[in-house]
Amino acid sequence: MDQDSIVVSSLSKSFSFPIKNPSVGWIKNLFNPEIKEITAVDDISFSVKSGERVAFIGPNGAGKSTTIKMLTGILFPTSGEIRVLGLDPSNDRKKLAYKIGTVFGQRSQLLPNLPLTDSLEFFGVMYDLSDREIRHRIKELSELFDLGSFIDQPVRKLSLGQRMRAEVVVSLIHKPKIIFLDEPTIGLDVVAKKSFRDLLLKINKEENTTIFLTSHDVGDIESLCERTIVINHGTLVKDLPTQELARTFVKEKNIDITPNTTFSVFPELPEGLKYAVKSKDKITVIIDISKIGVQEALRKLLDVFMVDDINVYDTDLETIIRNIYESNPAR
Amino acid sequence: MKVIRLGSKIIQTLVRDRIYYPGKLMVDTFGMVARCGVLLLLYWYVFRLNNGMVNGTTFLIAAWSMFLYFAFSVLRLRGISKEIMRDIRSGTVEILLCKPISYLSYRMWWQVGTGLYSFLVISLVGVIALAFIVGIPETMSARIFIPTLVIVVLLGVLLSLFLYTAVGLLAFWIEDIDPVFWVVDKTVMILGGSYLPVALFPDLMYKFAVWSPFGASQFVTHTVYETWGVEWMMKVGIQVFWVVAFLVITLLLFAKARKKVSVNGG
Repeated sequence: MDQDSIVVSSLSKSFSFPIKNPSVGWIKNLFNPEIKEITAVDDISFSVKSGERVAFIGPNGAGKSTTIKMLTGILFPTSGEIRVLGLDPSNDRKKLAYKIGTVFGQRSQLLPNLPLTDSLEFFGVMYDLSDREIRHRIKELSELFDLGSFIDQPVRKLSLGQRMRAEVVVSLIHKPKIIFLDEPTIGLDVVAKKSFRDLLLKINKEENTTIFLTSHDVGDIESLCERTIVINHGTLVKDLPTQELARTFVKEKNIDITPNTTFSVFPELPEGLKYAVKSKDKITVIIDISKIGVQEALRKLLDVFMVDDINVYDTDLETIIRNIYESNPAR
Repeated sequence: MKVIRLGSKIIQTLVRDRIYYPGKLMVDTFGMVARCGVLLLLYWYVFRLNNGMVNGTTFLIAAWSMFLYFAFSVLRLRGISKEIMRDIRSGTVEILLCKPISYLSYRMWWQVGTGLYSFLVISLVGVIALAFIVGIPETMSARIFIPTLVIVVLLGVLLSLFLYTAVGLLAFWIEDIDPVFWVVDKTVMILGGSYLPVALFPDLMYKFAVWSPFGASQFVTHTVYETWGVEWMMKVGIQVFWVVAFLVITLLLFAKARKKVSVNGG
């Protein structure tokens, strides 16, 4: 895991498009329209080591997809430099395509009417594998990812979970060194998500494939990625190990209390503590740790409540990520 | 070599897809019989009113010319415009740009593969049916007929693909290419001899049909005319010229379009 797979330096991308100005005539709007420019990605730099599993996250419109599409050679950067496996994606798009795999969650690359094997053979030919290599690879992938039960079914008859598995498997036919996944778990149920994540971990372990993933699903980030890069409004906000994400950004802790008395009116809480849940059986209090320490908070709560049980725990990753997004408001 | 292997794989896959779903062939056959059959009946009636000859052309020649137009149209090459527009609107173009292929050649192979099975089956059955029903004109037994037919069909395929690809690529600049497509497609249909065989055109319109790319893409309909023996070299030359011109236009448009690719999402 020493070599850099991806190196991005001072990368920017702007889009410009004409906008209609209602105060001028249609002729001016048609021939000399006002041009609006949007900076989707603004001077970001990072690198990814070979075999790393990286989550590239941000709210809608943050610049994730734009970045991933520049890394794969679909979009041309406005400025800055990208090297993916030593290649410049803009100039070496086809050469790079042989070394990377892509999965776009909302778009399918499979042949809908034919069995999955046809899609696998089709993409094998596209990636210039010999017939023997294709047969061998299909067998290998089928065993590795347990495709046996649906490999001969027409793709349009697969469940969404099976189809997403198939999408990943198709993108692995040529043994790519990096796989880019853009929101791959959209619409999957919890079981399919789990199986999908296991599949990605397997690829990473068995074939040392670098995983670069964008997702809004915290589960994807927590269970898959050892590192998280946060982007917002086109700029890089944070780049740190996923475990540290919680440690660095935890500003709150939660305390669940099971009271042994019932309240008709809940008592006032001291500064730094607020109620999240007020019910007969369970009270949840949030501690703002910048204002009050956990020990003091517990002491004060035990003065107020007679308890059967008490449980202190960290804020979940989703809340942490939301806090990061909200701490970088729109420019 | 890789392009040929991929091309034949695409065609093979799509032919298999069509064989899997024979309904498509039935729809194509029905469309061909309905459009071509009705027009042939009308022409038969008009030619009979004129003692079997209009503008120096017999019903036999007009019937075969029209059949060749409809058989060629079963290849559905015009569909490439809409496919490209769909790719751009849906973002599928992004998926294809991540692959180690040329987007344009991939789309062109795909389009050929889409109609090839129907084209082969319908042409074969149509030739036999028409030979039985109306007979075979003398011009089709000339020695140059088959080789020049093959050349003109291949050049017609290339020209149609480039012409309609150029129209499709406009979707990178204009939201909806339907109006442009409609104008180009109807021009091709009229000048290609869909409504009226080109041999029956007035002089000026005939010249436009011969010298414009729209008419040139359908020169297959000229191969049964009496004049084909002396005109085929000139007409093949015109086709070659337009093929090269539209190849350049298409490549230039695509090079510009690649920089216009935008992104759905953030």
